[in-house]
Amino acid sequence: MTITVIIDKEKHALEIHENMNIKEVLDKMDISSQTVVVKRNNEVVIEEEILEDGDIIEVIRVIYGG
Amino acid sequence: MNICTKCGATPVIISRKASGQMLCKECFIQSITDKVMKGIRRNKLIEKGDKVAVALSGGKDSVIVLDILNSLYKRNVIDLIAIIIDEGIEGYREHGIQIAVKNAQRMGIKHRVASIKDYFGKTLDEIMADDRREHGACTYCGVFRRWIINKIAREEGATKIATGHNLDDETQAILMNYLEGNIDNLTRIGAKSEPKSDKFTVKIKPLREIPEKEVGLYAVASELDVHFDECPYSQESFRGEVGRFIKELSVNHPTIMYSTLKGFDKIKPALKKEFAEKKVGIGTCIKCGEPASHEMCRACLFSKKIHQKE
Repeated sequence: MTITVIIDKEKHALEIHENMNIKEVLDKMDISSQTVVVKRNNEVVIEEEILEDGDIIEVIRVIYGG
Repeated sequence: MNICTKCGATPVIISRKASGQMLCKECFIQSITDKVMKGIRRNKLIEKGDKVAVALSGGKDSVIVLDILNSLYKRNVIDLIAIIIDEGIEGYREHGIQIAVKNAQRMGIKHRVASIKDYFGKTLDEIMADDRREHGACTYCGVFRRWIINKIAREEGATKIATGHNLDDETQAILMNYLEGNIDNLTRIGAKSEPKSDKFTVKIKPLREIPEKEVGLYAVASELDVHFDECPYSQESFRGEVGRFIKELSVNHPTIMYSTLKGFDKIKPALKKEFAEKKVGIGTCIKCGEPASHEMCRACLFSKKIHQKE
């Protein structure tokens, strides 16, 4: 399935497996979940949240150098 | 579906590994405000009637300090002023200043913007463009910024200067100074400074027990307008290495930052007793009249050097 990831003002389409959660997607993108806040379809979510096809996730970097 | 462990609402926006708590937006924001206020009371950071100068950069930490202290300002418990420093970093600082000013205006808090160039004749970019410079950007920036903030705070009659240091900053400082053997520096880490001169305003750190990630989450959840960009001069530093190390440890040991801070606060009185350098009488800088341990303060020494002709 495909989700859209918005990070650093850029949009990317990302192919992911079913039942993947936010943390696993961040790991796949090599982003530490310790340094970002994630919104899914405009709502802040926890990293255990399971993604669905067509979701739009926005990754907001709140910590640099971490 | 996960529900808020405090009120039962959905959705939750945080799952605190350290405590097992899951919180909805409202309970999370309230929990941060409560924790900051509790820390302020416990450490006697602020007293009724204080005039607090917030060193406001427009970044998440200082905007949240202003946002939380604003509740005390609105209830007439304290007076507030924001001091905004323009370091002179093209393409980066303008946006931060704009956001800082906007936040102060929105909250109806008096603010002053002061630039390093106005006080010391050069922007940080101009200082860094000179090959003869002897220090990194963070050293010049820190020395000049602290000098200006202290001077303006005194001019404004502020009794406290509040900074945005969070739990990550404090644990990094503790570990860094310990690993480098800077024991005297360790004795000075704390929620509230103990100035050597009456001309230095007491500095307080209201966010000292709040993890940086939660500060970021508070900013996003409260929809505060903050500057999340990275300073172009932030570099690979020992602090950065230590910060990454603690964050990695925190993944499997989520209480590690709290225990580092709490343990340090317990041993600090003993450290101070044994190792704090004896208070030597602090003098006055012959150039600017600010407190100085030598003939000239560090800011004036730096200023002299950056204007030296070849």
